[in-house]
Amino acid sequence: MHRAGVGRVLPAVIPALFILAWTGASTTGLIPTYLLPHPLEIAGSGYTYVLGQPGEGPYAGRFLSDAGASLLRVGCGFAAAVAAGLPLGILSGRLSVVHRLMSTTVNALRAVPGITWLPLAMVWFGIGMRTTVFLVALAAFFPVYLNAAAGARQVNPLWLQAGAMMGVRRLRGTFAILLPGAMSHVMTGLRLGLGISWAYLVLGELTGVPNGLGAVIMDARMLGRIDMIVVGIIVIAVIGRVSDLLLQLGMKFCFKSARRGA
Amino acid sequence: MSPPLRDAAQPGRKEKGRILEIKRLQKVFPLNGGFLPALDEVTFWAESGELICIIGRSGCGKSTLLKIMAGFVPPSSGEVLIKGKPVKTPGPDRCVIFQEDALFPWLTVRENIAFGLRGRDQTKQSKAAEVEWFLELVGLGEFGDYLPNEISGGMKQRVALARVLILKPEVLLMDEPFASLDAQSREEMQNLLLTLWQELAHTILFVTHDVNEAVVLADRILLMGKNPGRIREEIRIDLTRPREKETGAFMNVSRRLHEALRD
Repeated sequence: MHRAGVGRVLPAVIPALFILAWTGASTTGLIPTYLLPHPLEIAGSGYTYVLGQPGEGPYAGRFLSDAGASLLRVGCGFAAAVAAGLPLGILSGRLSVVHRLMSTTVNALRAVPGITWLPLAMVWFGIGMRTTVFLVALAAFFPVYLNAAAGARQVNPLWLQAGAMMGVRRLRGTFAILLPGAMSHVMTGLRLGLGISWAYLVLGELTGVPNGLGAVIMDARMLGRIDMIVVGIIVIAVIGRVSDLLLQLGMKFCFKSARRGA
Repeated sequence: MSPPLRDAAQPGRKEKGRILEIKRLQKVFPLNGGFLPALDEVTFWAESGELICIIGRSGCGKSTLLKIMAGFVPPSSGEVLIKGKPVKTPGPDRCVIFQEDALFPWLTVRENIAFGLRGRDQTKQSKAAEVEWFLELVGLGEFGDYLPNEISGGMKQRVALARVLILKPEVLLMDEPFASLDAQSREEMQNLLLTLWQELAHTILFVTHDVNEAVVLADRILLMGKNPGRIREEIRIDLTRPREKETGAFMNVSRRLHEALRD
């Protein structure tokens, strides 16, 4: 067997084993189907949800509009988190004034669980888009900020000196040296931030919005549709993983420093 | 194949005289509430096109001296003049070759060499041609597309040389640049440096703790003593180049330096 072949199969091993065990437990009746439906039933519900005609059933064909709504919320929240967290993080990693100014506040706010913002956010923004975006942005800010700061702090001082002697001034140095030099940390922060965005998306959508992947799960719970809860979980897992891969690909496409793993 | 010589690449040959002057330089570092004098009344100058080695044992302040000349660290008092103008900040007229590898790991060899040209008023083609010229000059013609972590320590220092030579600095400041290389690579790099120096006629200040290296390279050696760091002795080396380490004359100079360093 070729090495490359093994490498390609490896990521699928755990999901495959899991589905196998699940199928076995379900078929033999080890797990009652009212707690966890059979994988085939889930597949059927998933199929209807994704490809069914609207009107066929309560969830038929809703996937596109739900996923679209959720993606928009995650996109806006995550973008806001990056827009604030990345520059602030880089600044705080390089300038001790900014670091001292920010660190107490950031670390105090970071200690507050995101869910405690929910009631306040609902009062401020009502139910729906804006509350969710607020929660996502707030949650994703911290990993983006903290990792960017750590990355900027550990940039090899020789690179900055080398840049200075080659006549690179501050602003250009930030983009030509600091950002690439901190790239591996920045990348970690973005990936963690995007991951946590999906978690807080569901939190924001649990509050009675009409559409979105979190809304489907909450709706299904109230209607006792365990199968749709599981479908929702799987859809979020898949979209989360795909968005992480796309983020990495996108960064590698745009930045040499991400491509070359500096 | 040897690339053609161009006037632009020979800043040293255009004019004679003192290109670099160091005047009564002092540096003290704060230490446990007191002060640690690192450099005391250091005064010397470099003629245009001269190759000066600064030699001394570790802790004599030779690296600090270099950092002040580069503009990375301000002196406590005294001044550094380049062509009569005081040095305040780092700049491409005084380029540094660091001891450690300071290349940008996310850029290829070619991109590293081109780095300092970014933003210069020059066409893309002429920049690219210049990069190729300097790539050949340091003997890395085939390695332009490699990344720094794919090449050896000696090759990295060649890239480091090329990326500053392309900026046509007046003065090259070299901080034990070959100290971490193996003996063969070090000798190769010394020869390369001498060839480049004879071709391009830069003024070079070369910090080292290796006596033989100083005798192979220098027109003039400044011997530094420590506590506090100061220039103890100035030795002019009149041996003809290329200098053979096995000759009696070479060994005499080198023995004298060894003794001077000991006390």
